[in-house]
Amino acid sequence: MNTIISNIIAIYRKELQSYFASPLALAIAGVYWLISGFFFLYILLGPDGILAQVAMREQLGITDPVDVPYQFLQFFLSVMGSLSLFFLPMLSMGLYAEERKRGTLELLATSPLTNWSVAVGKLLGVLTFYLTMTAPFLLYESILFSAADPKMPIVIPILGHLALILLAASILSLGMFISSLTENTFLSAILTFALILFLWVMNGIAEGVTGAMGSAIGHLSLLKHYSNLIQGIIDSSSLILFGSYIVLGIFLTAQSIEALRYKRS
Amino acid sequence: MIEVEQLSKIYGTTQAIRDVTFNVEKGEILGFLGPNGAGKTTTMQILAGFLPATSGTARIAGYDVHEQSMAVRQRIGYLPETPPLYPDMTVEGFLHFVARIKGVAAGDRSKRVDLAVARCGLSERRKTLIRKLSKGFRQRVGIAQAIVHDPPVIILDEPTVGLDPRQIIEVRNLIKSLAGEHTIVLSTHILPEVNMTCSQVAIIKRGQVVATDKIENLMGRLTGGMGYEVEVEADVAGLEASLGSLFENIPGVKSIELLSREHLPENRYKWRMTAEPGTEPGRIIASRVVKAGLGLCELHRVQASLEDVFLELTMEDAKTPETEAEADVRDIQTPEPDMQDSEPPENTPPE
Repeated sequence: MNTIISNIIAIYRKELQSYFASPLALAIAGVYWLISGFFFLYILLGPDGILAQVAMREQLGITDPVDVPYQFLQFFLSVMGSLSLFFLPMLSMGLYAEERKRGTLELLATSPLTNWSVAVGKLLGVLTFYLTMTAPFLLYESILFSAADPKMPIVIPILGHLALILLAASILSLGMFISSLTENTFLSAILTFALILFLWVMNGIAEGVTGAMGSAIGHLSLLKHYSNLIQGIIDSSSLILFGSYIVLGIFLTAQSIEALRYKRS
Repeated sequence: MIEVEQLSKIYGTTQAIRDVTFNVEKGEILGFLGPNGAGKTTTMQILAGFLPATSGTARIAGYDVHEQSMAVRQRIGYLPETPPLYPDMTVEGFLHFVARIKGVAAGDRSKRVDLAVARCGLSERRKTLIRKLSKGFRQRVGIAQAIVHDPPVIILDEPTVGLDPRQIIEVRNLIKSLAGEHTIVLSTHILPEVNMTCSQVAIIKRGQVVATDKIENLMGRLTGGMGYEVEVEADVAGLEASLGSLFENIPGVKSIELLSREHLPENRYKWRMTAEPGTEPGRIIASRVVKAGLGLCELHRVQASLEDVFLELTMEDAKTPETEAEADVRDIQTPEPDMQDSEPPENTPPE
């Protein structure tokens, strides 16, 4: 057991280090900060931003109170969710494709490591990198919400960010699987994007399908469960769904690496 | 230490290797020699547990490479054809990582890394990012990662590719220094390399091992022992007739041939003799010449190089139909020492 954990940590540290040393990953992080930062300000202060809307309502004489921080957090997290559609495949694309291309997979496959401990280590590594990408926004939010009156219950932003983490972990896990199928990082990114887009819009597809089939498909939608969670609705089925995607991704990755060794030509 | 039996691998419809069988004793260095595409890398990948064999077994230190993969993986160091390196890591960081995933205990890691760095001549590049290293240094890091956990068995796939001549010598010395405590299998298509570093050689051709033996045995066996060339000056007229009996009945000499005098100065004669494997009749030849009162101008041994052996074993392609190639293989696997002089076996390949 100790060696398994030690192996996972070894892979984890290696992955993390390679992300922080990789110019590509840092460029991706930079663009992500730029775009997310723009949305942060736009949603808050832009011409259609939440403060402008509240001001407009006051001018129109609508006196229903608006929970500005809550509304803002929801908008912002759903934008972050959509952005991750584009950014996460770029983070996961190289996880295995690069190893295959460089031949380092041969090193991992001939070391006393199990396939799944490599997969878990890699997933944790890339997830940690993503978390550091989103960390600055926690600071922004804490500044923003500290000015809110009445105070927003802390559980809502925590839950929202937990949802973002779960969403990211699911996408990265599936992306890792796709990355293990090819040596081509670009192809891996495109395929991951297509798959995630499909899972994202599954809600819409489900609405077109009637009956039990429709609701079953609807349950698989990432968007639906993500929106529920960021609204503060804790539903065990959402947690189970994200958990399943994560485990599925790791499982498929381990299987695909095993299969690779068996039929490589 | 390494036992390989009847190993075969089929990719789709291509047979990469067929019935490969060999053994390597502890502390030996086996050179795996063959032309490109002969199946060297496939065999190495199977040994390292990276690929499963279609049939046959391979055991390392008594563990089956497929059934007891984890036990085998702990006991081997493997350098694939392209060194498996992470360009964004430093040499030291990378070796620490490898030591860790190979299961070196935390307390020993620094020591092992230091040792591997020193052995592979990487001390000055410890902190350099691998992506900034030249090809030769990368190859050395590749070797360092194969020995960092001090494995009993080391598998090196073309370890000297891409190195300059000085580095090649260093790497060969390094490999030789590893023998004894480690058992090594290395593949190469460079003949002198096997000659210089290996104690044993397995020659592989089109997926089949056509010969395995100690290098001296192999060369002796396949070329029928050493040859001697002797040049004699005889200015006495009419000596020619008596020259015929000059070298008769020398123990160990199998055949004598008087060479053409075309390129020789006047009164010089030259013979070529073939000796039985394991005999050295040179002294007797010299004393005969002296006793006869002749001038000995030159006497030297002609040793078949590994190159001759290699070419003899692998050059069937030019004259190949498949069946003939197979007959060729069978002959060579069971060479009879007296093949040359007595009646020729049925399937002697055309000269």
